[in-house]
Amino acid sequence: MTTATTGTSPAALYPRYLHCLAEADEPAAVEVARELLDAGVPADRVLLDLVAPAQAEVGERWARNEWSVAQEHAATHVSERVVASIAAYANPRGDRGRIVVACMDGEWHALPARLVAEVLRLRGWQVTFLGASVPAAHLVSYLHRHDAYAVALACALPMRLPQAHRMIEACQRSDVPVVVGGRGFGADGRWARRLGVAWAPDGPTAADLLGDERVLRAVAPADLAHLADDEYAGLVGRRGELIDSALADLAQRIPGFGDYTPAQLDSTVSDLGYILDFLAAALYVDDGSLFTEFVDWLVTVLASRGVPAAAVGATLRHYAGVLHDFPRAGAYVRAGGASLPAAGRRHSQSPEA
Amino acid sequence: MTGADVRDIDPGDGRFTPSPPQAPAWSPAASTAVPPTIDSSEFAGWPEIVEHLREGLVLCGPDGLVWQVSPVAQRLLPEIVVGGACAAFDGLDGSSAEIVHHGRRLRVRRVPLSAGPTCWYVEDVSEDTGPADELAAERARSAFLAVVGEKLGNPLHPDRAAAAVVRLAVPTLAEVAVLILAPRSGRARWWRARRDDDDLPTLDRGVLAAAELPAAVTDSLHGVQPHAVDWLAEQAVEAGWLPGMDAADASVRLVALPGRDAPVGVLLVARPAARWYTDDDLDLLRAFADRAGAALTTALLYRNQAEVADTLQASLLPVEPAEVSGVQWGTAYRPAQAGLRIGGDFYGSHRLPDGGAVFFLGDVSGKGVEAAVFTGQLRQCLHALHRIEAQPARLLRLLNDALLESTLAHGQGRFATMVLGVVRPHRDGGLALTLAGGGHLPPLVVRSSGEVEQLPLNGMLIGVVPDPRVSQVSTRLAPGETCLLYSDGVTEARGGRRGAEQLGTERLMQALTGCQRMPAPALAERVEQITCDWLAQRDHDDIAVLALRATGTRPHRHLHAVPTPTPVVREGTTTS
Repeated sequence: MTTATTGTSPAALYPRYLHCLAEADEPAAVEVARELLDAGVPADRVLLDLVAPAQAEVGERWARNEWSVAQEHAATHVSERVVASIAAYANPRGDRGRIVVACMDGEWHALPARLVAEVLRLRGWQVTFLGASVPAAHLVSYLHRHDAYAVALACALPMRLPQAHRMIEACQRSDVPVVVGGRGFGADGRWARRLGVAWAPDGPTAADLLGDERVLRAVAPADLAHLADDEYAGLVGRRGELIDSALADLAQRIPGFGDYTPAQLDSTVSDLGYILDFLAAALYVDDGSLFTEFVDWLVTVLASRGVPAAAVGATLRHYAGVLHDFPRAGAYVRAGGASLPAAGRRHSQSPEA
Repeated sequence: MTGADVRDIDPGDGRFTPSPPQAPAWSPAASTAVPPTIDSSEFAGWPEIVEHLREGLVLCGPDGLVWQVSPVAQRLLPEIVVGGACAAFDGLDGSSAEIVHHGRRLRVRRVPLSAGPTCWYVEDVSEDTGPADELAAERARSAFLAVVGEKLGNPLHPDRAAAAVVRLAVPTLAEVAVLILAPRSGRARWWRARRDDDDLPTLDRGVLAAAELPAAVTDSLHGVQPHAVDWLAEQAVEAGWLPGMDAADASVRLVALPGRDAPVGVLLVARPAARWYTDDDLDLLRAFADRAGAALTTALLYRNQAEVADTLQASLLPVEPAEVSGVQWGTAYRPAQAGLRIGGDFYGSHRLPDGGAVFFLGDVSGKGVEAAVFTGQLRQCLHALHRIEAQPARLLRLLNDALLESTLAHGQGRFATMVLGVVRPHRDGGLALTLAGGGHLPPLVVRSSGEVEQLPLNGMLIGVVPDPRVSQVSTRLAPGETCLLYSDGVTEARGGRRGAEQLGTERLMQALTGCQRMPAPALAERVEQITCDWLAQRDHDDIAVLALRATGTRPHRHLHAVPTPTPVVREGTTTS
């Protein structure tokens, strides 16, 4: 930590690195990382104190609508190249067992998992990184073909928890212990416990956890007795129908709805779908806070794009109305609506005249 | 003769005459007959009816001393004497209790009589609980085998299966379990699980030369059931498998795990001699061995087949494009069948001697392995042909003729759609592209303005007719501009509200608009991501994307010492 003030610490070079990401300047970004490594900063510190926070900032800028998806993708690509060059620089030779690191099918945010993979590699594990959006069948056939000591699975979005659970079960059926990570399991990993799987908040913790196979195997089994009420299955089955009804409701309430461009319509449909997917995930783990957290996030993202919270509130009320025979789902939706910013709620109480 | 004479008689010594209909299996002592050694005159007070009760009676005075003992009670409690204390009932407070006495389970009831004395009613219930115990044991065995079936029922990696077998064997079957796999190339691998303090097994593994295996293990692997169990323990100790165990104090068993023809391995189980293996234990061990053998056989079979499949797949996987100065490549590939890594889409590139490259992306008819094999033939054809023809339209026609010839010869009737292009770096840092289309989706170009443009390219299928119409188009990529080739798995992906709507070219172009600053790999991944998001986990066709971006690097002409060759094949000969 003595280097913190000498100009070659991750913190000191962070603004410069962020600028490189903004410019999608791969050579300059790699150069920043190399400077730190040459100055003797350990590779895992460069990964965790430079690349990781910068990537989190990239996500925030997208959420605040300061960066387009294209800019976010370009910056992420540069970060991936930086990670590759740090890995090549450190070039650790692992003699411990093989860990397979993969992102859930449908998860494209591979960088956090990639960082964990590199931290594990630096701790002496042999790591196979299967990349973004790995189909469960692909992972399982990999495990059959190459023995793995453990699997590390990343899930960034809680809406994929049901699929994550199927993937975890597939690994456990192959008798390979699993450790999971990523924001998808909740900030404190509470949904990982629900699914009966070991959880680590970051790379170093995952590395410690993987060090003891007996701890990995001594995880309490999944606790999903609440699925017996079939609300999850029912909601998934009615997804298309519910989106249609929500669209019809919007068409009635919003005067300019008929003039939506096809692209606007597509993004409305996908937002309506996300609401249901997060609701389904909340039902799956029996935790309404999953849905409330999502509503808070959705309102922030939409607000930065000029969509008022009132629009979300009205749609939530519509869903709460049509889901009258889903007691758990109805309660979650109402709790999510209650968490909306006060202005949004007031608005939603007096619908468009 | 008094009761004192029978005080030390063991009820199991066979002195009593067994009464056949009621004799329990565990002892010949059950008898309703009055023991001949007891003077019946002492029991004159008992009516005859009492002798035929299932319950024995012990009558005690208020001071607790025994007044009278019925014949049945005398048999169950031979140490009781009239006038003595009744030690067996000490500490029984309640009105009813069960005690274990001389190996039998006795139910005892204490009833205070109105006249003052107390009567103890004693019933032998050993036979009632015996079946219950057996049932519990049988249930435990079934539960154990159910867990084994669940854990070993899925196809596993062979090493995983071996580790799971020994882990499951402890502690139910053994304190130490060693699995020795049949030797491969003269070396036998073994896994061992040992019971730890907290009941969780600790695992380790090792390798032994086949010649060093204990004789009993070798015999068992050859299908000979070893009978000389005595020195099995010595052999196991000598092999170093039973640390901390003494051969004299160990109960060791060996069981072969059935394989396809010969045993796939043997399992050695050991525990302290005090817990020897009963017939029931051995039955359970054999049932376990059957399941373990099946799991290991499946695992090995799967591994061998996967090895072959992997090798073949590797040869059919798309090869990443060759590095070309001034070009940044980006690719994405997602076969329709996730378990399979290959499919009917293909892409690739070959460097040209003049510093440029031939690149292509296409889709063959059919799906799965057969389609993948055809893409392999097609790529090999192109690999050979690009050396004699580097002009895209003529190269495509050459390929058409070659495919037509081979499909006619094999009677397969396979065909392909593809875009084939040549890229050459330009002095200003841009790229010059010439593309030929064989019935494939026209490529897109992301211009530096952020607009997306579709190149006018169509043409006919490749491999169907002798002289297909091939269209050709030329364009320039300024630095930062990207040309994108993709397969119909992208635009024909079905999703939307009901999962029936196609993604379509419009949506794809919309999604790429404004992406001019994306590096080629990010752009290719974006196309894959849009497609997969649209699909939302639904089934899909093969998806392939090839992007090439002008990086703006000027070509280093002096590096290319090889002179540009003159075309070997003249224009007129390609279409004939």
